[in-house]
Amino acid sequence: MEPLDDRELDRILQQWQAPAAPPSLRAKVLPQPSPWWQWLTTGTIRVPVPVGIAVLLAVAALLYFRTYSPTTERPTAVQPAKSVSLADFQPVKQLEPRVIGRANEGN
Amino acid sequence: MTNAEFRTAFEQNKDAVYRFAWRMCGSPAVAEDIAQEVFLTLLRQPGRFDPARGALRSFLLAIARNLALKRWRDDSRLDVLENGFAAPALDLESRETADAVSAAVALLPPLQREVLILAQYEELSLEEIARAVDAEVGTVKSRLHRARENLKRMLAPLKSRSVSRNIGRSISHGTFGRS
Repeated sequence: MEPLDDRELDRILQQWQAPAAPPSLRAKVLPQPSPWWQWLTTGTIRVPVPVGIAVLLAVAALLYFRTYSPTTERPTAVQPAKSVSLADFQPVKQLEPRVIGRANEGN
Repeated sequence: MTNAEFRTAFEQNKDAVYRFAWRMCGSPAVAEDIAQEVFLTLLRQPGRFDPARGALRSFLLAIARNLALKRWRDDSRLDVLENGFAAPALDLESRETADAVSAAVALLPPLQREVLILAQYEELSLEEIARAVDAEVGTVKSRLHRARENLKRMLAPLKSRSVSRNIGRSISHGTFGRS
């Protein structure tokens, strides 16, 4: 069979069309902006090691001094006695002494 | 490369890169993987692109070409990369023209196929193709010539089909026999 000439080949080759890039390619290559609140569950923070150590030491020191500071009132078992006000104490208006003798033992 | 520059590069070149990979590999999934890898390479290593050596599109197509050939090698089909190729007989009678072209191009050795696709469909110059495939211009010209000769033989059965279609079109338009 006689081969094609250049013009025929070009015309036939042009009939082979390729599709455009699918939309999924964009999603794979260009990162989509995510809502800010998603950072609360998936976000990360990069902390330099010296800063991290300093923060840990500061927190440990804070806890230590809050626990063992001499100015802190320790919970004590015995509370110091407070002064008692006698303002509400009233004397008995009329004494009624009652003598119980042996003669009345039977009653 | 800024984020905006990268987005512009992606928008301007994504179709060309995908088309090239699709024609080289014949698979939408593989083509998408290759195109993705091409742009991620640009994103990670923007310094590899030197504007003095050519257009960004040529650079991206060169990366796509290397990835396509790597997949070809991974499939252990390197033995017919270029030489020793004899155009096989294709049953084109029952195929549509586009399918026939696709099948014929897929049968070309990869080094012939890539220069044909870059020249015929992406319209790169011989110098641009030479840079993309890392070969001399003379080598590119030779590969392109061999690719076209192979296709002329493989697609020859389409000639009679196109002639008969033209005759039919001429008859329907009342122009048959006038020229």
